Amino acid sequence: MFESIILWFFSIAIAPFFSAVILKIKAFFGGRKGPPLLINYYTLIKLFKKGSVYSNSTTLVFKLGPIISLGTAITVLMFLPIAGRPPMFSFHGDVIFVLYIMGLGRFFTIAAAMDTASPFEGMGAAREAYFPIICEAATFMILIFFYRLTGELQLSSYFTGNNTMAIWKLAGAPVLFIVISFFIILLTESSRVPVDDPATHLELTMIHEVMVLDHSGPDLSLIELGSFCKLFFYSTLISRLILPFDFNIPIIGYGVYLMGLILVYVAVGIIESIVARYRMDQVPQFVLTSFALAFFATIITLEFIK
Amino acid sequence: MSQFFVSILLILSGGLLSLFLIKPTKAAKIIRVFSISLGCFLGLLDAGTKLMQSGSDSVSFEFLKVFSLVFRIDGLSAFFLVCIFLVCLLATIYSYHYMDGSKKPVRVAVNYFFLSILIVSMALVVTAVNIIGFMLSWEFMSLSSFFLVIYNYESLKNRKAGYLYFVFSHVGAMFIFAAFGIVYGYTGSFGFSAVEAIPETAKILIFIFSFIGFGSKAGVFPFHVWLPYAHPAAPSHISAVMSGVMIKTGIYGIVRMYSLLNFHTPIFGYIVLIAGVVSGILGVVYALGQHDLKRLLAYHSVENIGIILIGLGIGMIGVSSGNPLMAVLGFSGGFLHVFNHSIFKSLLFMGAGMVLHKTGTSSIDALGGLLKKMKITGTTFIIGSLAISGLPPFNGFVSEFFIYMGAFKGILLDKSDFAMAILAIISLAVIGGLALACFTKVVGVVFQGEPRTKAAENVDEKGSTMLASMVILASACIFIGIFPGIFIKMSMKAVSALGLEYGGIPLEPFEQMAKNITLSASILFVSLFVVIAVRFFFYKGKTIRKSGTWGCGFTQPTVKMQYTGSSYASSILEFFRPTAPLEEEHPEIQGRFPQKTYYRSQISDVAELYMKSVIVRPVLFLFDKLRWIQHGDIHLYIGYILLAIILLLFFI
Repeated sequence: MFESIILWFFSIAIAPFFSAVILKIKAFFGGRKGPPLLINYYTLIKLFKKGSVYSNSTTLVFKLGPIISLGTAITVLMFLPIAGRPPMFSFHGDVIFVLYIMGLGRFFTIAAAMDTASPFEGMGAAREAYFPIICEAATFMILIFFYRLTGELQLSSYFTGNNTMAIWKLAGAPVLFIVISFFIILLTESSRVPVDDPATHLELTMIHEVMVLDHSGPDLSLIELGSFCKLFFYSTLISRLILPFDFNIPIIGYGVYLMGLILVYVAVGIIESIVARYRMDQVPQFVLTSFALAFFATIITLEFIK
Repeated sequence: MSQFFVSILLILSGGLLSLFLIKPTKAAKIIRVFSISLGCFLGLLDAGTKLMQSGSDSVSFEFLKVFSLVFRIDGLSAFFLVCIFLVCLLATIYSYHYMDGSKKPVRVAVNYFFLSILIVSMALVVTAVNIIGFMLSWEFMSLSSFFLVIYNYESLKNRKAGYLYFVFSHVGAMFIFAAFGIVYGYTGSFGFSAVEAIPETAKILIFIFSFIGFGSKAGVFPFHVWLPYAHPAAPSHISAVMSGVMIKTGIYGIVRMYSLLNFHTPIFGYIVLIAGVVSGILGVVYALGQHDLKRLLAYHSVENIGIILIGLGIGMIGVSSGNPLMAVLGFSGGFLHVFNHSIFKSLLFMGAGMVLHKTGTSSIDALGGLLKKMKITGTTFIIGSLAISGLPPFNGFVSEFFIYMGAFKGILLDKSDFAMAILAIISLAVIGGLALACFTKVVGVVFQGEPRTKAAENVDEKGSTMLASMVILASACIFIGIFPGIFIKMSMKAVSALGLEYGGIPLEPFEQMAKNITLSASILFVSLFVVIAVRFFFYKGKTIRKSGTWGCGFTQPTVKMQYTGSSYASSILEFFRPTAPLEEEHPEIQGRFPQKTYYRSQISDVAELYMKSVIVRPVLFLFDKLRWIQHGDIHLYIGYILLAIILLLFFI
C-alpha cells in the first residue's frame, strides 16, 4: 500500500515531464533544439502564480470544470497498476468505474466549455462529445477480450505481476492488435495528432485546446495537469503491455517500465511529426479502426483458445 | 393489505374531493394535494415494509358474483409499488404550484381526479393476480392517462397526440388480451396459477404477444411512436408520472409474464435483449436530434427502457444458460434501473416543467443561460443529467454497473449467448456515450451560455413545492449513487419474487459490490476535495477579473453566434444517418446583401416512417373497402350481432 501511494504521487509528479518528451521529439524532426524537458513544470508554475479572468457568461460550472477534470484524472491513477505493482485500490469491476469516472471528467469539461457561450468552444465540445463514444466502445471491446482470457474485470488482474505475460502466452499475436488498438485510443482520448492537434493556432480545427480557451491562471494549470495525467494513464497501460516482463528486483522492474513509457511517448512524438491531422469527418473512421482491431483479436482468440 | 387499500381510498377521495371543491380557494387546493400525497405516502411506507419482509399478502373480492378480483403484494409488486408511490407523491406535491397559475379551475379539478385514478389503477395493475383484475386496472390506467394527456385539448397537436396514444394503448391492450386469451384457452380459469402447465410452443406465443402488448406501453422500439407525442402534450407533473412510472407497468407486465410462464428458453432472453439494444441506441439517437426539451426527454425514456430490457435480457439468458450469478446481476440491475430511472426521469421532467412554466417555451434552441436565474432548477437538472448519463457517483451508474457485471459473466459463455453478451456490453457503452453527448447538449444549450431569445431573459424560479420535489429527487440520485446497499437489497427482494430457484445464492458478493461503489465514490470525493483545497490555496489573495468571453479576436459577438443544440448534435447524427434520416431545409444565401435566412431540421423516426407505409396505409385501404358494412342502419347492426353469436355457437 505504501509503495502504491508513493507510485501514485510519483506518477502525478512525473507526468508533465513525459509530455515534454513529445515536444523534444517533434523539435528533433523539425530540426530545432526544442524547449527544455522541464518546460511543462515551468508552464504550470507560471500559471499557478497568475490570477484569473472569468467570462461574464460563466457560472459556477465553469469553475467546477478544471476541478473535476483533474480530480477524476488523479482518481483514475489510484486504480492504475504502475510498473506492474498493485494499485492503491482495486476491486472486481474497477475498470468500469475508471472508464465512467473519465466520462464524469468529460461531462464537466464539456459543460465548462458550453458555459462560456463561445461558438468555438461549443464546436470543440461537440467533437469532444462525439469521438469518445466510439473510443468507449473500443475500450469495452478490449475489456471483453481481457475478460474472455482471464475471467477477471479489474486492472490489476491484467497489468500486475505475471498477469500481462500470462495474457501474452495465452493469446499471443492478437495482443499485438490490442496494443495498436490501445494506442489509437490513447491518441484520441488525450487529443493528439492525428485526431486533434494540441499545437495548432486555428481555433476551428481544435478539440481539446479550444475548449479551454477561456480558462486562465491556476484553473488552466489544473486542466493541463489533468490532461498530462490522462496521457500518463494510457501510456502506462501500453508500456506494461509491450514490456510485460516481471522481475524480482524492483529497480529493474521500474527501469523496464520507464523504458516502455519513453517508447510510448516517443512513438506519439514521431506520429505527431510525420502524420498530419485528419479531416474531422475522417476521425471516426480512424477511431473505429481500434474497435475493429479489438473485435478481431477477440474473434481470433475465440477460435484458438478453448 | 388493509393499509394498501386505505392509501388507495385516500388517493381516490382526494380525486373525488377535487371534483366537488372546484372553486380554486387555497383550502381546496391544499385538500386535494394533501389527500393524494398522504395516500401515496402511506402506500409508500406500506410497500417499503412489505418489500423488506418476505412472503406475500393477498386479498380477494367477489365482483358481480361471476368474476373474482384477487390482489396480492409480493416482492415484485412491492418493488414497483415503491416506485409508483414515491414518484406520484413527489409529482403531486410538485403539481401544487405548477397548476397554480391555471385560469381554468374545472379543468384543473378534473386533472386531479384523473391523476388519482391513474395512481390507483397503476397500483392495482402491479398487485392484480388474475386476468379480470389486471385488465380492468390496465384499462383504467390507459383511459385516465389518455384524459391527462389531452389536458390542453384546444391545441390540435395535443389532440393528435392523445389520439395516437389512445390507438396505441388499445392496440397494445388487444395483444395483451390475445395473450390472456391463449392462457384462458389452456387453463380455463382467470387465475394465474395454472399458467405453468401450458405447452411450450403456446408459451412462446403468449410471451411474444404479451411482449408486444406490454412493450407498446413501455415504449419499446418500434412500439414507442406514441411516447414522444404524448409526453410533451401532458402537463409536466403528468409527464413525470407517465414517463417515470406508468411506462414501467409495461416492464412489470413483461417480467410478471416471464415469471408466470416459468419457461427458461434462451429465445425470451434474446428477444428482450435485442429489443433493448435497439430501443436503447435508437432512443438516444433520436433524442439527440430533438429540438423540444420534453420530446427529447420522452425519447430518453425509450432509451432507458432499452437499458432496463438489456438488464432483464441478460438475466433471462443467465437463467437459460444455468448461470445464477449472471441471472441475478441482470435482473437486479434491470430492476434497480427501473427504480433509478423513475427518480431521475421524473426529476428531469419536473425541471423541464419549471423551464416551460417560467419561459413559456420548451424549444431548446430558444433558451440559454437559465442557470444564472434558476439556480436550484439548474443544479438539480444537472444532477439528473449526470445520473441519466450513468456517471458515478450518481444512481444511474449503480444499475448500469450491475448490468455490465451481469453481461460480462455472459462473455464466458458460448456461441450465441456470447454474441448477445458482446452486443449488450458494446451497446451499453455506446448508449452511455450518446446519453452524455445528449445531456451535455441540453445542459449546455438550455442552462448555460447566454439567453438566445427574450423568453429566456428575466426568469425566476418561484414555487416552493416544485423546488422541494426536485431537491428531494436530486438528493435521492446522489444518495443512491453513494450508498446503494439498501436499494440493491430492495431489487434483490424483487428478484427473489420471480420464483427462480436462487434462494440460496450468497448475498455477500452483492453487498461487496455495494461497498465497492461506496468506497470508490468516497475516493472520488476525497480527490475532488484535495483539488479544491489546492485551487483555494493558489487563488488566495489573487486578483480575479470579469470580462467578456474570448471571441478569438472578433469584437462584436452576439448571442446568436452561440452553438445551438442542432449544430451540437449534427456530426453525431451524421454518423447514425441510415437509421435516423435528417431532413434539412435551408435556402441558399445569395447576393452581396443577403436576405434573412433560416435553417430548419427535423429528424425522422424510422419506426414512424415505416409504420405509416407498412401498417397504417394497408389498414386504411382495407377498411376503406369494408366501409359498406358501416351504413348506420340499426336493424342490420342487430342482425350482425345475431349472426356473429350464431356462428360462434357453431364453432365453440
